Amino acid sequence: MELQKIANARAHDHVLGLSGSSDGSMFAATPSQGAIQLLRPDGSIAAELPGHGMGNGISAFHPLEPILATCGADGKIRIYREPFSVTPEWELTIGKDWIEKLAWSTDGSHLATAIGKRLVILDAMGAVVQEFASHRGSVCDFAWNPRQPEEIASVCGGGALMWRLGADEPFARFDWGGASLLASWSPDGRWVVTGDQTPSVHLYDHTRDYPLHIQGYETKVKALAFNSASRKLATGGGRLVTVWNCTGKTGPEGTMPKQLEGHTGDCVALAYRRGSDWLASGGADGNLIFFEPESSTRPRSVLALGSAVASVAWHPSEPLLAAGTDAGDIVLIRVQ
Amino acid sequence: MRTPVTILTGFLGAGKTTLLNRILTEQHGLRIAVIENEFGEIGIDHELVVQSDEEIFEMNNGCICCTVRGDLIRILGRLMKRRDKFDRILIETTGLADPGPVVQTFFMDDDMKEQFFVDAIVTVVDAMHIHLHLNDSEEAREQVAFADVILLNKCDLVPGADVDALDRRLRGINALAKVYRTVNGDIALDKVLHVGGFNLDHAMELDPHFLEEAEHHEHHHHHHEEDVTSVGIEANGDCDGRKLNAWLSELVRTQGQDIFRMKGVFSIAGNPDRIIFQGVHMLIDGANGGPWGDRPRENKLVFIGRNLDRAALTTGFRACLA
Repeated sequence: MELQKIANARAHDHVLGLSGSSDGSMFAATPSQGAIQLLRPDGSIAAELPGHGMGNGISAFHPLEPILATCGADGKIRIYREPFSVTPEWELTIGKDWIEKLAWSTDGSHLATAIGKRLVILDAMGAVVQEFASHRGSVCDFAWNPRQPEEIASVCGGGALMWRLGADEPFARFDWGGASLLASWSPDGRWVVTGDQTPSVHLYDHTRDYPLHIQGYETKVKALAFNSASRKLATGGGRLVTVWNCTGKTGPEGTMPKQLEGHTGDCVALAYRRGSDWLASGGADGNLIFFEPESSTRPRSVLALGSAVASVAWHPSEPLLAAGTDAGDIVLIRVQ
Repeated sequence: MRTPVTILTGFLGAGKTTLLNRILTEQHGLRIAVIENEFGEIGIDHELVVQSDEEIFEMNNGCICCTVRGDLIRILGRLMKRRDKFDRILIETTGLADPGPVVQTFFMDDDMKEQFFVDAIVTVVDAMHIHLHLNDSEEAREQVAFADVILLNKCDLVPGADVDALDRRLRGINALAKVYRTVNGDIALDKVLHVGGFNLDHAMELDPHFLEEAEHHEHHHHHHEEDVTSVGIEANGDCDGRKLNAWLSELVRTQGQDIFRMKGVFSIAGNPDRIIFQGVHMLIDGANGGPWGDRPRENKLVFIGRNLDRAALTTGFRACLA
């Protein structure tokens, strides 16, 4: 695997997140503070959008159209549409708490966000469609069901609640009493996974009401990534990247994971390339490591970025990866 | 460099917000981020004020010692991703908050431990009403027990003799805390910031006789029948490191739920350096305190907790002497 660094860019601060547009024409790089940059694959800046007061949350490109949603600690959501002028198409204040993340449903019909104990669902025009408010604590994360665009899972306390638009109560509930931080829903819609404060991962096959608890991580679990076939789940909890086999009736239960070595600091960001076994892993050690877990547990390639890697995102079709660091550097890498 | 954290506790109406506003408006030149509870009323707009729910994360099936504050982990994690770092974090808790999970957050979570340290727990006490709260409320007793600094506030509303009696009662519960009498939370900022409260060395240099005071206050106030008290132990000579380790491990395993805080300085046989020890519930932490130098080798240990058995603790510790 050969890496070709094709461009560098510089954000104002720690790169919280990178989101690729559906047509692959740009990446949105969101720093913790300051302007949100839209970068073309050659590294040139297509647009700079104003940051949110008191800091940004993670922006999200629409899955089908050239629309970007941004959010921030000012409790606001803004929607920008191509050609991405500094004036948003609409802006909505959701509350006075921080908004840390946004996520579009896979059909692009709805935008989800969490503010305090509320999971808020908007339509593409910014109207609040539904609020799921019966969380006992703050909503730490959420993930849409890729197969059922009206279903979304939220993480609050230990476990996950699964909601369906139009209903006030969750249609499934997965509660293990601890503390979960991250949520991911497998592309085939089968597994809802949480990364936990306790060094563990919970998987939940909600179609069978079948929970799994996987322990043994070195630290809390900071990164989750399914491959596009939903067969593999990569997890980062410490220096090792642990890859679980999610096939078969019971998924990872009773199986040996692959443990990928190479990082000397915690793995904090993971992303599988669509339709491939290429797994990019960003570490607090400043290394961006490329694995092919099916064939080896050793790194295929390593690129030192100089400071802790904070986020990674693949281009939707080309073998191109964007990586951001805690120092605000953004690197675009072609992988061959 | 780790960022200091000040934890501000106290019952509703004790004067926490007044003190907080005073800290934030004074010209100290520090960039302070404030995390206040969801009902907070800070009127400051030039500092970063974040509201949060007090969310308990149970990390180990509800074990009190393994509970941390999830909201703090999340908010502080985000704050530390900013280039313009803060000089200090101030956490204001609700009146009914248990300080344990707040403190434990900075012991249990690796990221928090790496980036922050608890400088002090400051407990504001309403001199008018604290007697009632101490009698009726477990939370009030715990807030006093956890404190490094106690502000005996609203002293202008209470006769001097009553304040004296209250002062003694507070010291009986928590012999380690510095008690200051205040009106409207008016206190020099260096008394509540830069405390170094989680540093026994510092505490003892400030007041080398604090253990004697603990004994005195506890004796003087037996008639209150406090369930939360301080027990101080002193012994010259060296400890057997292995015995001490085994005793402390057993102690926190069996009584950790009732031990709010522990601090100590140990002289370990064969070790030329002082060992500084501190703990919260079942979490204990030791650090090298540097060479003894000309100082006499001795051991000092203080427990603050509920239903402490002074005789058993003293006997247990003395059995660890080499």
